[in-house]
Parts: sequence; C-alpha cells; structure tokens
Amino acid sequence: MTNPAPEPLLALSNVNTFYGQAQVHFDLSITVARGHIVCLLGGNASGKSTTMKIILGLVKPRSGEVSFDGASLIGLTTPQIVRRGIASVPEARRLFADMSVRENILMGAFVRNDREAIAQDLDKMLTLFPKLGQRLAQRAGSLSGGEQQMVAMARALMSRPRMIVMDEPTMGLSPLYVDRVLELIRTINREGVSVFMVEQNASLALEIAHEAYVLQTGKIVLSGPARALKDDPRIRDAYLGGSEAA
Amino acid sequence: MSSWLDYTINGLIVGNVYALVAVGLALIFGVSRLINFAQGSIYLVGAYIGWVAVVQLHTPLPLTIIVVAVAAAIVGLIIERFGLRPLQNSVRIAPLLATIGISFVLDQLVMLTFSPNPRALPSQLPDVRFQVGGGTIGPLDLLIAGVGLTSAFLLFVFLRYSKLGWAVRAASQDRDAAMQMGVDVNRVNQAVFGIAAALGGVSGMLVGMYYNQIDTAMSLQATLKGVVAEVVGGAGNVPGAVIGSLLLGLVESYGVAVFGTSYRNLFAFLLLVVVLVLRPNGLFASARQAPPEPLTGTFIAPSRPVRIPHWALAVAAAGFALLPLFPVSFYVLQTLINAWLLGMLALSLTLVAGTMGQVSLGHAALLAIGAYTSALLSLTLNVPVGLAVIGGGLMSAALGTLLISPSFRLRGHYVSIATLAIGEIVSLVILNWESVTRGPIGISGIPPLSLFGYDLISPTSIYWFSFAVMVVLALLQGRLLGSHLGRSFRAIRDDDIAARAYGLSLNRYKSLAFIFGGFAAGVSGGIAAHLYSYINHETFNTQQSILALTVVILGGLGNVVGAMLGAVALVGLPEVFRVAAEYRILIYGIVLLLLVRFRPQGLLGTM
Repeated sequence: MTNPAPEPLLALSNVNTFYGQAQVHFDLSITVARGHIVCLLGGNASGKSTTMKIILGLVKPRSGEVSFDGASLIGLTTPQIVRRGIASVPEARRLFADMSVRENILMGAFVRNDREAIAQDLDKMLTLFPKLGQRLAQRAGSLSGGEQQMVAMARALMSRPRMIVMDEPTMGLSPLYVDRVLELIRTINREGVSVFMVEQNASLALEIAHEAYVLQTGKIVLSGPARALKDDPRIRDAYLGGSEAA
Repeated sequence: MSSWLDYTINGLIVGNVYALVAVGLALIFGVSRLINFAQGSIYLVGAYIGWVAVVQLHTPLPLTIIVVAVAAAIVGLIIERFGLRPLQNSVRIAPLLATIGISFVLDQLVMLTFSPNPRALPSQLPDVRFQVGGGTIGPLDLLIAGVGLTSAFLLFVFLRYSKLGWAVRAASQDRDAAMQMGVDVNRVNQAVFGIAAALGGVSGMLVGMYYNQIDTAMSLQATLKGVVAEVVGGAGNVPGAVIGSLLLGLVESYGVAVFGTSYRNLFAFLLLVVVLVLRPNGLFASARQAPPEPLTGTFIAPSRPVRIPHWALAVAAAGFALLPLFPVSFYVLQTLINAWLLGMLALSLTLVAGTMGQVSLGHAALLAIGAYTSALLSLTLNVPVGLAVIGGGLMSAALGTLLISPSFRLRGHYVSIATLAIGEIVSLVILNWESVTRGPIGISGIPPLSLFGYDLISPTSIYWFSFAVMVVLALLQGRLLGSHLGRSFRAIRDDDIAARAYGLSLNRYKSLAFIFGGFAAGVSGGIAAHLYSYINHETFNTQQSILALTVVILGGLGNVVGAMLGAVALVGLPEVFRVAAEYRILIYGIVLLLLVRFRPQGLLGTM
C-alpha cells in the first residue's frame, strides 16, 4: 500500500455528505495521483455518483476537504471548478441533445477564449474520434449511445483539462464500444490527463486503472493498486454486500 | 373577402405582439423551467415607460423603443437578481409563486404611480392606410411586423453565434451538464431575463400604440396570452413560441370575425386547454426532453405542522362565536364576515393545492359558479335561499370537477396554467352566455340570505351563519384528512407514480378532492352572492384566486386551521391598520414574496 505515489492532484479527505437526514458518505478519503487513472467501484446506491458530484461542486459536503492541485475546491461553484482544470463526462453522457455534434464538442471549450487553438483542438478531436467527422452537423440526440459517448469524451477534452472525471463511461454501450472507450481513456491518460472514473463494471475498470477504491454504502472498504485488487475475492463480496446479501 | 384579409393581417400583427411576450417566456422556461407570471407586468411597465417617453419627454420613435427596451430589461434584471435568484434551492413552486407576487407588486406600483385610468399612447406615426390586395395595412402594422422580425433575427443570431447564446441553449437543454462545461447559470438567467423583459416591454408599448390606450388591466391579459402562446408552441421552445403566437393571433382574429369581440379571449383559453389535453408538450415539442417536474414530492415545502391543542381551537371558536354579543362595531363584523367567506375558499384551495398538490390559480371560478347558481336558483326558480346556496355548492362541486378533469393528467406548473385558463373560461362563458347569466349586465336584486324562512339581514346573524358554515366545513375537512382518503391525497401529492403503483386511481382521488373543494368554494360564492345582491362576470376574478392562494400559503399548504387563520390575517390586518384599498394588493404581493422567501411552510406549517 505504500507505493512511492506521485504527488496527489486531487484529494478528498474525510468527506461527509448528507441528503437531508440520510448520510451518503462517511469520512470518505480518496486521492488521485498526478497522471494516474483511478477508479471508484461500487454497487448501486453506494455513493459513487455523489462522489463525482462532490468533486464537481454540484453537491456540497457537510464536512471534509476537497483539494485540487493543492488548492481547496470547497465553496467554489461548478463553473469555477471547471476553470481550475477539471472536465467531466457525466453519467449517461448528458449531451445537449438539440445542439449539433460540433456545437456540443465546442461547448467543452466554453471556458477558453483562444479561438485558433480551439479550432486546432477540434481537428485533433476528429483524429482521435474519426467517426465524429461525418456527424458534425447532426443533432447530438440522434447519435447512437456509443457515438454519444465519443462526443462526451471529446467535449470533456476540449477544455484542455488536467483531470477528467467520468461517471460510468461504459454504461449502456455495446461490447465493441466498451473496449473502444477503455482504449480511449488510456490514450487520453497517456497524454498527461489524470482520470477519475466511477464504474460498476469492476473487471473492466481494473484493467486500465492504476489505483482503485471500493465504495460500499458510503464507506471505502477496499483500496489499493488496481493490479493487486484485480484478483481480490473481496471485490466480489463488496459488490454483493457480503455473504448476507449474496 | 377583403375583410378576411384584414382579419388575417390583424391576427398576424396581434400574433407578433404576443410573440414578443411568448418568446421571453419560452427563454425563461427553457433555462429555469419556470413560467414567469410577471412577464405581463413587465409588458405593462414597458407601456407606461413608453407613455412617459412619448407624452412627457417627446422622444422620437426609435429612441422611445430603445428607452423602453433598456428600462424594461433593467426591471427584468432586478426581478431575476432579487426576486428569483435567492429561491434557487427552494421548492419547485416557490419561484412560480414569487413571480405572481412580483406581478402584483409591479402592477400595483404602476397603478399607484399613474392612476388606474386609461391613458392614450400616441404612436407618432402618420395615420394612413395602404391598400394591399383586398385589405389595408398601416404604418403601425409595419412597425410591429418590423420589430417582430428584427427581434426574431437578433435573437437567432444571439443564440446561434454568441458564446452567451450557446450557454443559454446548453443550459436550457441540460442545466447541470452546462455547468460542468463552465457555464455560469446565474449569468445565463440574467441574460434571459434581460432579453425577455426588453422584448416584453417593447411589446407592451407597441400594443399601447396599436390600440392608442394603455391601462393597468393589460398586465394579466398579456401574461395569459403569452403563456397560452408559449404552451401551445411547446414550453421552452423559442421558435414554437413564435408560431404559437401567430396561431393564437389568427385564431382570435377569426374568432372575433365570426362571433364578436367578447369571444376573443375565450378562443385563446380554449385553444390552450385543447392543446394541454391533447398535446401537453405543445404542438412542436422536441421528442426528447428532461421531465419538467421532479417525480417525487418536492413541490410543497416539507415541514412539521404546528400542533394546536383541541381545547385552544375550541376556545378560539367560542371566542369568535360569542364576539357579536360584545359591543363590537358593524365594521368589525363586516370584516370578519369577509374573512369567513375567504376562509371557506381557502379551505377549498388548501385541500386541492396543499393536500392534493394541484396548485390551482383559477379557484375564483368555483366561487362564480356557486354564486351564479345560487343567485339564479333563488331568483328565477324561487328556491329558498338556504337551499339555493347548497345548490350552488353542489353545482360548483360537479361543474368545477368536470371542467378541471381534463387537466388531471397534468403535473405541477401545467396544472396551474390549466386551472388559470379554466378560471378565465368560466368568467368568459358567464360574460357571453347572456340568456342564462345575463351577460355583462350581471345579476342584480339577488334576495338576501335566509334560513327556514327567516331573513338573515342583521350583520350579527350573517356573521353567525357564515362562521358556522365555515366551521362545519373545516370540521368535515379535518375528518377527511384524518381518514384513509386524506392519506391517499397526500400520497398522490408526494409521489403520484408511487401512489399509482400502489393502486390508487389518480383521477378518482383528484375528482374527490375537487368535489369537496368545489362544494366549499361554491357555498362561499353562493353566500357572497346573496350578501352582495349584485354579481357580474368580474365579481370573482383572478385577483381573488391569487388572494386565496396567498391565504393558503400564509396558513401553511394543506393546513385546515392555517387556512382560516390566513384568511383572518389577510382580510383583518389591512382593516386593522386601515390600509387604503389601493395599497392592499401591493401588500398581498409583498406578503406572498416574503412568505415564499422566508417561510414557505406558512405560519402553521404544511400538512
């Protein structure tokens, strides 16, 4: 467990979150090292998506600290956090359905003002996601799920983020696209973007992640290098809620 | 033939004016899922600013338009910043109610500043008409068409090519996702309110010039027409709002051509109800859209109701019952009689809006049905007044439920729009159905209240009678809420899908709530008719519906005791402080705003 971990880019420490009376997170602590892919695993209602919302400032924790690149994110609005260099691929893509594919991708560059560089980046996205080239003028809502996922990833990259948070990037995709998406995440990561992803599909996520955390009803029950966790029987137990639920 | 072309031109011109209002509503709805009931007030403000500019400052026309647009935009920005932004995290109904409060305040401020008397707003354009085909067209028609087209073009360019325009579109399609792209939703809201207000203000000025008259009644009409056009086009759909507006203008214009002027609004609201029932998402709704309402019960502010011990209620009731035995003035009794009548209406509304979650904005229609039924029964059929009042209650229960039933499948804000429209329809039918309702003349000489042959004429007897009726209704409603029926009502309010999954028939329970509520409101209207001895189609108007809603929110939605307390407070306090009548509406508006902001659960808490 004591790797010579690089300096953390993102750190959540002792985060407690509530929805009304119900507590969602119990002293949640997660770090994402610079340049790493970290995945957060967990079953339904374990608090995975809320973790993402906490990072993005969509939900405010009651206590605890969230810091990015050494500076606290607590109290910042979502747009401010995005401007710090965090982009997101939300759950179920959440494209702007009535806007064109081109407009959707360019919306990702909303925080930027360098027009020429934005145009260059758009071209770069089309080499990274060649399929989107023919779809640029099409309504984003008319694309297939896999294509929408490509648009969502291109959109996230357009802000030139230092980190991308992804909520179940493989959800609802055909197996072919699942592999493609995982490969793209690797590619993105190789270019220096740290990735924090929330996943239900543990075996897939562990294939590409450097570290992983397992969340169960708001508590981290397991964490460590992905390679080590891959064969850990406790992963399965954590998912099924222990022997009782199984 | 020629006249048809004229009616078409007129319809398109009026439609253009509606479009300026409706586009603003659509932009706001798109971004905040909010129907801005203050839109008509901005239109009113625009008309009066135009009047000041033209008549007092003698500005040339282009400058007048700019002055109106800028001033109205500033009003819009103020509304957004201070009226709505603080409510971002409150219950869904809060911003809607706030815009209603804001519209009361703005309308009243205009009225207090400029007096309610109509004013002429000269158009500064030469009064000539050109022959076009078989019809004629004047410079003002061209101006309105020009302003409409220019605004549409500018708006298109803004939405399509500016960064802020993209942000507006993105936020209206997926607010959270837009925030994750770095869009500051507050700025988007600001932009949208500013644009909507500028368009609305200019629209009001143009209408004032078109009819060469402005008055404070314009506000509500404009809101209603704009909402109709917007919903017909598909809430939140900007091009849809334009088409809906033109359609509405044409339908009205042809309707007027065939049936006469007093039918104009009837067509507008019938069009709305038909669209709501057949295509609730409007004629041009996009296929995929985020659901406009949350599926679970966040519509009503959750709270723990204040428990008042039974003995305290009994003591209070006894106190009020014995009050006439003490030397109190006629004036006090009169005020409290008004409070009891309003209390009955509030009981009805608190059941429907609070317990059942159907926030009705047309509750005065139930009063009107009860009042007309009771008045006509006693006048034309010589039914004893006591029975006639009950007849009014029953008619209100039956007819009210029947009229509202098409909207049972609607949710949230749409229920409010539908009930508002149905309320207007009732009033317009009363106006136009002369053979029965005597039309605009109204009904006079309604016999006084009587019970078992004894006329109730003294204030004391009327006081006791109305108080007793209210208390009986309140006790019945209390029983109802404690029964399984009451639980079913609340279950449907809190989560209609879950309620349905448990086998509750929404239509049946909504009908039951409206039947009971309709009866209470109808009885209140019936008693009022016999007290006033004269009623017409305007006696029970939207202002009363909103007052009832304010009472209900003040008391706590769904709270029976709260409804009565709210009625006493809102009717009584202005009397106690001797507030001049013209300031009262202003105060109601402010009360509503403060409640929504600081105590959405009301005085006694929601139930």
